[in-house]
Amino acid sequence: MKLSEILTPRRIALDLKARTKEEVLEELVRLLKLSSPARKALLRTLTAREELGSTSVGGGVAIPHCRSLVVSKVLVAVGLSRRGINFRSPDRKRVFLFFLIFAPLVGNPGEYLVVLGSVAQAAKVLARDRRIKKVKTARDFIKLVKELEK
Amino acid sequence: MNPQLQLLIALQDILSLIREARDPSQKRALGKMGFKLTNLEALEQSREDLESQLSPAIRSQYARAKKRYGRIVAPVINGICYGCFVKIPSAIDTAEDRNQTLYRCENCGMFLFWVEK
Repeated sequence: MKLSEILTPRRIALDLKARTKEEVLEELVRLLKLSSPARKALLRTLTAREELGSTSVGGGVAIPHCRSLVVSKVLVAVGLSRRGINFRSPDRKRVFLFFLIFAPLVGNPGEYLVVLGSVAQAAKVLARDRRIKKVKTARDFIKLVKELEK
Repeated sequence: MNPQLQLLIALQDILSLIREARDPSQKRALGKMGFKLTNLEALEQSREDLESQLSPAIRSQYARAKKRYGRIVAPVINGICYGCFVKIPSAIDTAEDRNQTLYRCENCGMFLFWVEK
């Protein structure tokens, strides 16, 4: 599975306004344009997931993720924070690149892990590429992802 | 959405996170990706807090479903209960108060949640 295949321009925010961990999760979830009850439910589960351990994988990347009853398919949103956010990373670095992933509770958990693994791998490569900070549009972002996948 | 259903959904999601954190193979797979699942106690505490907010009648039905299936809420997709894969009666499936009223599957007894498409 390629990351570029599951990205949608309208679910990519290249200049996150959030300044805290809580705010960034909220801003990312908002990109999915779900109903208010679904949004609240997902935020609640994401917060619980963060209690279990930070979803930052270091190197300026975080991949908040969880499986939830309120989604029927895998949903992905991307956010870029120009100033970086304290996300309680294992390497204590500020996080500037966020990938939000939700997967349904029904279905194969193995498939969810495959998606998560692919995103984690691609996100780390992307975060090391200097061009990421110069990307101006969501389409350019997807183009860069595609280039790095080659 | 029905407030008790909201709690049940949150509980279902948390139970799934707890199961994930306790499953050695999933824990290992997630660990290899860089995710550490360390604070299971905090999650158990959240579960207990949510359980305490359930009304007494719902709590006993919740406890029964949890014991029997390990899950409590079944998503309904295209009129099918994904707890037992039996079709929901169309009068309920098309009801205007879906997710506003707490419905249970007539076949498996799990609470029902109609997922947004």
